[in-house]
Amino acid sequence: MNKITLIILASVCVIVPVLAQQSEQDYSTAQPGVRFAPLHIYIDSGNSNLAAYQFEVRAVREPPLQPAAGQIKIVGVEGGRHEAFKEAPYYDPAALANDRIIIAAFNTGRDLPTDRTRITTIHLQIIGDAEPQYELKLIVAADADGKEIPAEITFEKGE
Amino acid sequence: MKKKVLIASILLSLIAIVLVCSFIGCQERPATTLQQPADESSERSTIADDSNKPDSEPIVWAETPTEPSKPQQDAPEDENGIGIHQVLVEPGKERLVDSLTILGPTGTPRPEVINRPPVPQDIRFSLKPESEEGSELGVVRGPVLLPAKKSVKDSMISGRSVAKYEWSGRDGDRYDGGMMGGMGGYGRQPGLVLSAPRRSAGRTVYYDTEPMSRPDRRILAELVNVTADEVWVIAKAETQAVPAGEDTPGCGAMLAKLPQEEKEIPLPLKHTDVKAQICGYIATVDVTQQFHNPYDEKIEAVYVFPLPQNAAINEFIMTIGERRIRGIIRERKEAEKIYQQARRQGHVASLLTQERPNIFTQKVANIEPCKEIDINIKYFNTLAYVDGWYEFVFPMVVGPRFNPPGFTDGLGAVARGKAGISGQKTEVQYLKPSERSGHDISLAVDIDAGVVIEQLVCTSHVINNSSPARDKRTVKLSSLDSIPNKDFVLRYKVAGKTVKSALVTHRDERGGFFTLMLYPPDNLSYLKRAPMEMIFVLDCSGSMSGKPIAKAKQAITRALKKLQPGDTFQIIRFSNNASKLGPNPVPATPKNIRKGLAYIESLRGSGGTMMIEGIKAALDFAHDPKRFRLVSFMTDGYIGNETEILAAIHQRLGASRIFSFGVGSSVNRYLLDRMAKLGKGAVAYIGLDNSAGQVVDEFYDRISHPALADVTIDWGNMQVTDMYPNRIPDLFVGRPVILTGRFKGASSTTIHVKGKVGDMTQDIAIAVNLEDSAATHAGIACVWARKKIETLGSQAAFDTNPDLPGEIKQVALEYGLMSAYTAFIAVDSSRKTAGDHGITVAVPVPVPDGVRYDTTVQN
Repeated sequence: MNKITLIILASVCVIVPVLAQQSEQDYSTAQPGVRFAPLHIYIDSGNSNLAAYQFEVRAVREPPLQPAAGQIKIVGVEGGRHEAFKEAPYYDPAALANDRIIIAAFNTGRDLPTDRTRITTIHLQIIGDAEPQYELKLIVAADADGKEIPAEITFEKGE
Repeated sequence: MKKKVLIASILLSLIAIVLVCSFIGCQERPATTLQQPADESSERSTIADDSNKPDSEPIVWAETPTEPSKPQQDAPEDENGIGIHQVLVEPGKERLVDSLTILGPTGTPRPEVINRPPVPQDIRFSLKPESEEGSELGVVRGPVLLPAKKSVKDSMISGRSVAKYEWSGRDGDRYDGGMMGGMGGYGRQPGLVLSAPRRSAGRTVYYDTEPMSRPDRRILAELVNVTADEVWVIAKAETQAVPAGEDTPGCGAMLAKLPQEEKEIPLPLKHTDVKAQICGYIATVDVTQQFHNPYDEKIEAVYVFPLPQNAAINEFIMTIGERRIRGIIRERKEAEKIYQQARRQGHVASLLTQERPNIFTQKVANIEPCKEIDINIKYFNTLAYVDGWYEFVFPMVVGPRFNPPGFTDGLGAVARGKAGISGQKTEVQYLKPSERSGHDISLAVDIDAGVVIEQLVCTSHVINNSSPARDKRTVKLSSLDSIPNKDFVLRYKVAGKTVKSALVTHRDERGGFFTLMLYPPDNLSYLKRAPMEMIFVLDCSGSMSGKPIAKAKQAITRALKKLQPGDTFQIIRFSNNASKLGPNPVPATPKNIRKGLAYIESLRGSGGTMMIEGIKAALDFAHDPKRFRLVSFMTDGYIGNETEILAAIHQRLGASRIFSFGVGSSVNRYLLDRMAKLGKGAVAYIGLDNSAGQVVDEFYDRISHPALADVTIDWGNMQVTDMYPNRIPDLFVGRPVILTGRFKGASSTTIHVKGKVGDMTQDIAIAVNLEDSAATHAGIACVWARKKIETLGSQAAFDTNPDLPGEIKQVALEYGLMSAYTAFIAVDSSRKTAGDHGITVAVPVPVPDGVRYDTTVQN
């Protein structure tokens, strides 16, 4: 009897903290962190006037660069720095319905930016504790005549 | 052996208990996320109780060097939950109450710094212009063991504004109002000085309000010249609502009481600006709501507001200073979740949700003190057209709705500060007749009719209008008429005896979209109608009391006198129940008409709006096959159970046709329009300033001729799909029908519209050129999607198909449109505001013009 009692008590002392810790870990992983952060997008069109652009952004996991579905959600699109792109750009709701983020804007005015300029800030909800990796794809950049121009798209993470 | 089993059982039980306790302990630990602790109050209700909420949430003031509070047990509590709180006053400064000083606008004494309250105590200050005579200073929470009530005259603006400072029980762990000096208004009132309470003003004193349990809580003890004595205050421990009508977030609000004006209350919605552009029969409307925070702590503003029932909202932008953030359309539950997360984490965020097709809720979280945030909403809608007149309507206020007993998914109408008492999912808070909000509205409409505008009238408001060209008009709401308490109704008549049917198209990468405004043929007006069975149904509920029921009675009186000898009629009234003139319709003889007129004259408005009883009474008796049955509802439509009513009409309509008459200054146009559409009839609106007789005459003109029934369309070379409404309604003289759908094809063609008038077949030919760029409009795709959503939504009222919500959601998301299942969310992720999410303040609204507060608003 004494042996049985001792074994049971010892088991309790060992098992309970382990189970408790395990349960805590499970609970933590079941409730991923949620935070909000901006992503500043830049286009460098060199000497060309930038009148229109369209790009797609997505979160990816490394390695390899696979889409990290559900890691980011767009919660706002803000205008850029240059007056020509100050207005909030448009997003494609049909693409968004399929978990794709496609942003576009245009300006038909004369005062258009050249070189590197912040064209928009995307406000994101980031789900999970992992820092997302972003992949940008410039679909098109065009000048005031509607002619496609060479340009480079980059981003900076905001806090 | 038994002993061993017993011991083993006990041990196993102990193990089980320990395991369960360990598990529960883990579950209760906060998640390792960046989220702030769950906010129960925010989950509880879509419109938070701004009278209760402040008391239940910690408010973090500036950290101040105060000595640690004593442990909780120092605050004794009696068995009834009455807490005894102690305030220590510095030695040598006696007569606490008598020495309380309200600081005037200039040079009045500043409070002295007091610290070391040995026990939790609570002081509540409330700044409320009560009357021109003076204000009260008193304890507002539970009994007080000191003579703490005192009237104080204060020298506010022109000596008229007054201040009220209150002390409260320990749960009121903040001061309420409590600012001195020029109270100011909203900046638009000349001669007033804006002066929000500032902790930096003068010497500010903070008390620790809670012991160790809540170390962040601080109390501002400004304004109190507390000295000398030891005072004991007994206060109730439980949270209580702030006295009715006096709710504020608990800090100084900018208030002003102007001479000759009604009482003004603080309001987070400062101004609404409406800019509409009308091109043809499609309006593009930009609505900007300017929210600001008149308090000195963060707030969440909640505003329930109306838009036209056919508005296709496709743009939502939040403006913070110079920054404009476009909102994103998302599934409603997802958007609500994102909003709550952003709110808890201190981000400025806004959420737009749809409560009804014509009622929306706007929430803006984390508005910092004295900051402004603009919300811009853009929508398209098609204009109504009747007898050569186009009608543009902008609703300005949600009318108070009646909800049947047991119904909880409606719209509650409650007095300001009485959130939650209606038990409804959504509530609108109403101002008392003696109260006035600083919210005003400006409105401008640019009309480009494409044809000469012959006449333009606005019977609802005072307007200024100019005419840059014969086919263009610019209309502005007069600043003399900027209180948003009734629908803005603008009508304009275009040249020509009749307008031809017209097709407008739009193409993009999704394909082709069209709207067809289909006019009835002219020759219908030469034919006479068949005998009728007229059923008048009059809403005699409390909201109709006064002017609305008087207008409705005028309309029915006029209609009775226009009946022809071969007709029959019945009169049904409903409020809490329904009753009628007689068991069956009676012939329209002079004697019966006199009897009917006397019955109408005897009716009064009171009680609830059990419209379902009226529907049953009107549609549930046998139809006379020799007569065309026409049911005419006269109501303001102020009910919360629209879905139930529409489902009942669908089930019981039979051979009847419903003509709904909206009576009042701000009626439920969604319900009345849907009743007419489901009832295959038409709708008309009688404003309080309209001639009921004229509206009835127009109605009788319309029904004096047969309708074009069994309408079919041969689309020629157009391949049409997804057309709404699916079934083309009857065409009545003077009233067109708008069809919208998708199409393929790019050539010229001729559309043939065919229908029957009695035994005769009518054919209307419409030539269309699908390449005509002048007949295009970018809003057509949105109009189509909105129509599809509306049609599916109506179908959901009587169709239990579980796929309908998914279909609606899919269309709404794909086209970026607001619906019952989608919402717009915008978050500024680039910055977190300090502290937690602040408290919720509902935007109270006036009852619509002509509606009685006392018979419609729960208080």
